[in-house]
Amino acid sequence: MIRLRGVWHRYTSRGRWVLRGADFTVSPGEAVLVVGPNGSGKTTLLKIAGLLLEPSRGLVEAWGEPFWSLPRSGRLRLRRRVVYVHEKPILVRGTVLENIALGLLLRGAPRGEALEAAREAAEALGIPGSLLGERARRLSRGLQQLVAVARALAVKPRVLILDEPFAHLDYRRRRLLAEKLEELRDHGTGVAVASHDTGLAARLADRVVAVEDGGVRPLETPAGG
Amino acid sequence: MGELLEVTLRSLYISLSATLLAASWSLPLAYLAARRPGFSLVARAAEALVGVPTVLVGLLLYMLLSRRGPLGFLELLYTPAAIALGEAVLVTPLLVAVGYRVLSTAVAEYGELALSLGASEGQALRLALREALPGLVAAMVMAFSRAVGELGVALMVGGNIRGYTRTLTTAIALEVSKGEFEAAVSLGAVLVGLMLASAAAVYAARRLWEP
Repeated sequence: MIRLRGVWHRYTSRGRWVLRGADFTVSPGEAVLVVGPNGSGKTTLLKIAGLLLEPSRGLVEAWGEPFWSLPRSGRLRLRRRVVYVHEKPILVRGTVLENIALGLLLRGAPRGEALEAAREAAEALGIPGSLLGERARRLSRGLQQLVAVARALAVKPRVLILDEPFAHLDYRRRRLLAEKLEELRDHGTGVAVASHDTGLAARLADRVVAVEDGGVRPLETPAGG
Repeated sequence: MGELLEVTLRSLYISLSATLLAASWSLPLAYLAARRPGFSLVARAAEALVGVPTVLVGLLLYMLLSRRGPLGFLELLYTPAAIALGEAVLVTPLLVAVGYRVLSTAVAEYGELALSLGASEGQALRLALREALPGLVAAMVMAFSRAVGELGVALMVGGNIRGYTRTLTTAIALEVSKGEFEAAVSLGAVLVGLMLASAAAVYAARRLWEP
């Protein structure tokens, strides 16, 4: 599980504080929807929760360990439990299948196994088999986004953090993705989603939080509790 | 025709050497600037110097390499090596500035992507460099194009010696001074051909590596 406590962050030493004492938690088997206007700090919050960005101040705990105080080997061990999916899909040169397998290959999985797992992840998200051999960067923006999510699913993270995953997807694929995220959550994965599409995302969310004025404020849950 | 080929080959050889020499120090500098905030000033300075006049670089190098200059003992003045060195200095700002842009984007995007997928920091860096490669090759081709088309350095530290340091640009200058415009235009056509070939090489490199 990931816990942020009293996190402050700014990108330059004299820049404005994007986060000011934010608290945030993603627990196993829980889906959290993060909302907030553009520029409110959602991406910063999620990157810090994704163990990619060291906050200027405050504590980041991953499975009870102070992440940024750990040696490199400890950070690598914990980082392998979390995957952050960027809002703008970042794809490497190569085919769709190679892109989906990238995480597994970087973790040292044999190529055959990695490609097989990538095929399964693609299928789970409804990426047609005929596209797997295509150059990933030539796909439409929506499909690129799906490839980035499939790549995250392929490594089977314990915590999955997605920044605007529904943007650019058609309704059918948005629903499919929401169902997949729900399924992951039901199987114990912690899921955090930043989304403006509050319809689908709110349905899968156990909690909704708003990023406002540099802090994180809980909103009423979709169930009203 | 024989002399035209000889001058063309010499221009190619000198400018290629200059590009590789400049890359050997410019790309590590660009990498440092992209990775360490303290070095980003180097990239800013390089951006400001991209358009430095070739004749100024030639003059400075002439003063350094002349017999009474601090590097006079190397006896490089009026040699092809002096031209290559001068052109390398000339294209350094371009290579640092473009290399910095390419590498900082690659490290930020692909480095972060790799880390988010569970890569070690070393693997993240390797992925970023792999993805930056087409951009770096394009930067080197641009540098070559600038080097092969410059006149000031080649004239001042090369001396335009027939059969030794004459390049396409100095040959053009000579032909114009003699009033031989037809010969100058022929040489110019070869020069433009080389530049177009460089642009085609960039395009081919991009087609090969991207997406």
